Parts: sequence; structure tokens; C-alpha cells
Amino acid sequence: MNGKTATEEINSFKDFMIFIRSELKPKGRIFTIFNVISAPIILLGAILIVYRLAKGLGWPVTNLSQDFPWGIWIGFDVMTGVAFAGGAYVLTFVVYVLGAKKYHPIIRATVLNGFLAYVFYTGAIFLDCGRWWNIVNPMIGNEFGVNSVLFLVAWHFLLYTLAELVEFSPAIAEWLGWKKIRKILASLTLGAVIFGITLSTLHQSGLGALVMMAKWKIHPLWYTEFIPVLFFISSIFAGLSMVIFEGTISHRVFSQQIDEEHHRTYDDILVGLGKICAVAMVGYFFLKVLVFIHGKHWSLINTPMGYWYLLELIGLVLIPCLIFVQGVKDRNLLSIRVAAILTMAGIIINRLNYVFIAYKWYIPMSERYFPTWIEIVITLAIVFAEIWVFRWIVNRMPVLKESPEWAREE
Amino acid sequence: MDRREFLKTIGIGIGGVACGDILIPSIVNAQNAFGGNEFFGVLVDTTRCIGCMRCEMACAEAHNLPLPDISNDSVFEKKRNTTETRWTVVNRYETEKGKIFVKQQCMHCNQPACVAACLVKAMKKRKEAHVTWDTNCIGCRLCMVSCPFDMPKFEYNSPLPKIQKCNLCWDRFQEGKLPACVEACPVEALKFGARRDLLDEANSRIFQNPHNYVHHVYGGHEVGGTSYIYLSAVPFEQIGFRGDLGTTPYPEFTTGFLHAVPFVDVLWPLILLGINRAIRREED
Amino acid sequence: MEGFTYIDIFATEGIEYLVVIVFLLLIIPFWMFLNR
Repeated sequence: MNGKTATEEINSFKDFMIFIRSELKPKGRIFTIFNVISAPIILLGAILIVYRLAKGLGWPVTNLSQDFPWGIWIGFDVMTGVAFAGGAYVLTFVVYVLGAKKYHPIIRATVLNGFLAYVFYTGAIFLDCGRWWNIVNPMIGNEFGVNSVLFLVAWHFLLYTLAELVEFSPAIAEWLGWKKIRKILASLTLGAVIFGITLSTLHQSGLGALVMMAKWKIHPLWYTEFIPVLFFISSIFAGLSMVIFEGTISHRVFSQQIDEEHHRTYDDILVGLGKICAVAMVGYFFLKVLVFIHGKHWSLINTPMGYWYLLELIGLVLIPCLIFVQGVKDRNLLSIRVAAILTMAGIIINRLNYVFIAYKWYIPMSERYFPTWIEIVITLAIVFAEIWVFRWIVNRMPVLKESPEWAREE
Repeated sequence: MDRREFLKTIGIGIGGVACGDILIPSIVNAQNAFGGNEFFGVLVDTTRCIGCMRCEMACAEAHNLPLPDISNDSVFEKKRNTTETRWTVVNRYETEKGKIFVKQQCMHCNQPACVAACLVKAMKKRKEAHVTWDTNCIGCRLCMVSCPFDMPKFEYNSPLPKIQKCNLCWDRFQEGKLPACVEACPVEALKFGARRDLLDEANSRIFQNPHNYVHHVYGGHEVGGTSYIYLSAVPFEQIGFRGDLGTTPYPEFTTGFLHAVPFVDVLWPLILLGINRAIRREED
Repeated sequence: MEGFTYIDIFATEGIEYLVVIVFLLLIIPFWMFLNR
């Protein structure tokens, strides 16, 4: 890598600007397969976003309707995306509250992903809001709708993003060589973590609580007073599965940054994550069984929606849970990775069920919601843009690579 | 209908009229309603409705909405919903007692789901009962997800979209006027007044004509009670009403969660801090 | 039927949130004080 690093002295503003300018240059090859695919989509997405703001949410921008007011921007970008970002609160709990140093090598990448996810999904919310120019209203008191679950979710979202920024900020300070500031920020970590876990509990469950008043619109196999609890528990293994998935890719893409020891311990980390997932999924499965029995819905199992329910619960919760168990017992990393992918598919299906699949399941196919190509492209653009930012940061700041000497000495 | 007829219609004696405000009422409930202590409502007697759709026309005229073509009966062939340009709609149902016409619109629930859902209080429940939408709305559409009657409609095709639904003629009410639909109805199928009085009226109609009505006032207790209440000659399920809404006000489906929030906000930090300190002590 | 008394079931929600914020702000100096 060329240019000054932050370990060398930056004595003046001029030095600082030279440093920043060198950091802004692209690192690594420009024409990778990923870049060639993602760059045009990001550009197209940007254009489509302007079109959406100018035209409104109606067709051809989205296929939202009076029957289906929420689609993939809420169902996938926000609800699924937030569930997948749950790795941050789970892992910071394990590393900072419980003190399990085993996961320390991946904690910064996880927190960074959590922070970026929330920033970009706030963007998705902004795009989904029909009157987006008013989006600051719940924040500035025009008005404080304290009666609303969404008010709570919005505020916890915002505060959590700030907490994640605080948790990640020592890495930024290390990048910039700000020693004193780094020390202060590091002392805030435990507080930010505790705050973050509390906030996460409430907004993960809160996303489920959003649909509580849609009682008869959601198929009885999915509707229960315990939706918020189910959302919270599933966010544990959703987040960790994403950590497994994203970590697998990151470790290959950024492998030259990762030192010997980290590479060696990574297997232990994967097995550990698999174990936590297996336990959380067993708990979740039993909660779903309890809800099923309590609702007395056995006759509904022998219907198309019943089979869909079994696919989600047996095929994409119970089965990946068992694969996680096998992967943990045999230390089979491939099994753990396969289980993570199946689990993630199950989470996507679960969240989308509450938004437009099990939601108004009785509406005939011709009147149902299917995303438009524009909704899909904008969704992909948001995801790719987040990956670009993640990559930019990981290539410059000590996320996967070691902290500078002076920081490690503390 | 002028102010004098309006006051007569709701059974209020004519006394002095204060400017803007209304009157010296002679029926205590109406006084309470006008004093903002009780709700107003509309009684819809489906045994009287002839399907002329003048209510649809009057509503559109009163709110600058596109005028419907009410000369054409063929619209009754398919069930219509309200839309972002049509706040109320009349549907025709074939029943055991022949054709029945039913006017549909926002029910102005006592405890509205949309009001509970709204994170900026754009949806407001007025103390006179009207549920109205305001422009500080952010367009999140949670009100649409939450409404048990699927009433809020969204202007998807506009870059400056509004939520559209019946507002019980809140603007006309400020001027002392009846809701446009009530005023336009030629057969008094619609009656505006204090909700309590309307419930009494509905029950007395059932009592006096027990064979003409199903012995139930829809909206009396459904979802905790609504301001629009209905009478019917046939079971309500036959004329497009859901029988499974229950009597629990819909906001109460969220209060289990919402009331737990402050508890979690207090307990979680203490538990997490405690675990952290306890484990650290073990390591020392 | 009896008259309807409107009960705002969210009347205290705003105050409860404020109490929580006050709690979270006070817990930090409280903890520091205990450990001095």
C-alpha cells in the first residue's frame, strides 16, 4: 500500500490532506467480476431513485397497492435486513458483556456491517416513505406519536445506529492516528454495547409488533400475540448466519489482511457461531410448536398455506438447525455454511410472509403483490452500495487487519 | 338543508345561537356531544337504502373528488371498494330477503387502529368522533396495514401522495353542516347525531319492528365500537361485514408490546451490567 | 347502551419514555458513584 499510514506522524493539516488523498485512491483491481456487475446496478439504482422521488410510488416504480401497502423495501430491505444485522448485538454481547475473547477477531467487521446495514436500510425506509420530505417529523416532534410501535422502532433504529458508530469509532480513530480520542472512544464501548443490546431487543421485536393490528389479514399459522418474541429470537440466528456467510466471503476476499493466528482460530469461531445458532433455533422451534398448539390450528396444516408453513418451519428452521448440530459435532465447516444459507433463506421467507405472502394470503394471485424490476434494482443497488462502502473501509481501517502498534499497547 | 333544519334533525331545540358554536340543546346527550364530551355518529339503516348513490355524489362534490356516474346501475354488478378518489361507495348484495344496498366508508372507530399506528399523529381521533388525516404524514402506510376495515387509501400515483378516506365531513362540521352523504340521502337511510342517541334509535327500531331487523347493531361493540353503526334485515355477513373482528379495540393488540418497552429499557442495562461485572469478578 | 367514555390508552406512554431516558442518563453517574 502506498501513501502515509496513520502510524507515521501526521504533523500538519497538509500531511493530513496528503494522507486522506492517498486513502481515496482505489485499492486493488478495478475490473473484478463483482465490480463489473455491481457498478452499473448502483448507477442504474441511483437514476431510478431520482425517478422514484419524481414520480411517486405508483406503477411502474412499485407494484404496491391498496391491498398490499408494503413490499420488498419494507419486507426485505428493512425487516430482513435488520434481522441479518442482528449479529452485531449478539456478538458484542458475547465479546464485551460475557468477555468471550474467542470472537474478538471478527467483532469489528460485524459491528461495521451492523452500522452500515442500519444506515443503508434507513435509506430504504426513506425511499419507501410516500411523503419522504416529512421523514424527520417523528424525530423533531411533528408530532411524537408515542402511541405507535413504529415511533418506537424509528427512534430505536436511530439511536442504535449511533451506538454502533460509537462501537466502531475506535477503528476510525486508529486509522486517523488520533490516539487520545481513541482512548476516550474505547472507554465508551461497554456502555454503547449495553445500550445497543437493549435497543436491539426492542427494535427487532418491534418490527414484528408492527403487524399486530393486522390480525385477520395474516394467516392464523403466522399470527400470534408472540410475534415480537419470535422476531427477536429469530434475529439471533439470522444475524449469526449472516456473520457466517459474510465472514466466509470476507476471509477469502481480504485474506491477505488477516494474520496467521486469526486464520487458525477462524474454524473455532465458525463452530462456536454454529453452536449458538443451533441452540437459538431449537428454542425458536419449540416456541413455534407452542404457538401452533395454543392456536389449535392443526386442521390448517393440510392446506397450501399449511405446506408453506411446514416448508418454512421444518425445511428452513428445523433442518438447518440439525445441520448446524452435525457441523458443530463433526467440526464440518461446509455443513455450518450450508446451514447458514438455509437459515437465511428461512428468515427471508418468514419476514416476507408477514408483509405480503401470508399477509392477505386469501387474495387471488392476479391481485397479489410481486416486486417490479425497479424495486428489485433499487434493492440490489442499496445492497451493493453497502458492500462497496464496507470494502472501502476494510481496505483502509483496522477492521480485519491488526490495529496499529500504539493502539494494541493499551 | 339550512342550520335550522340541521338542528331540528338532531332533535335539538332552537335557542340562542352563538357565533360559530352551536346552541342551547334540549337533549342532554346532544349537549354532551356538542360540548365535546361524547361522540357523534351516523346510523345506516340498510333496510331503507335504495341504492340511488346520491351520497357518493354528494361526498365527491363536498371534497373535490372526481364525480361518480350514478346513473349507471351496472356498477353494482361487482363489489366496489373505496379508493383514493372515492371516499364512500354503495354496494348491492343479493340476500335471502332480496337486494340490499350497503354504504361503506371509514367507520370512525372509538379506538381507531390507524390513530394508534400513526407515528406522527397525522391520524387523529377528534373528541367529536371524527377520524381525520393531516399533512404531517410521512406516508409510511402503517395505518393501511392496521385498519380492520382497510379504509385508508394511498395516492400511489402522485409524487405528493395523501392518505384518502372519509373524514365524517370534519370541515363541514366546523360550519355547522351535516355530513354531505347524510344531507343528500332522500330516504333517511342515514342519520347523524350523538352516538348514544343513535344507538338508542337503532335499538328502538329493532324493538318496534323485530321481524324487519336482525337483532344486532353492527358497530355497537365491534372493535370496541364505531361511530358508523348499521342496521340490517339479514345477518351482517351476508352484506359484506366481517363477523370475526371481535370487540377488542385494535390498539390493544399493540399495547402488550408497547407497555413492555419501558420495562426492557430499564431492566436490560442492569442485567447486562450485572452479568458483565459478575463474570469479570470471576476472572480476577 | 350507556354513553361512551373515551379512555386514551396511550396517555402515559410519552411520560414513561421520558422516565426511561432519565433513568438511562442517571444510571451512569449512579454506577460511578457506587464504585468510587
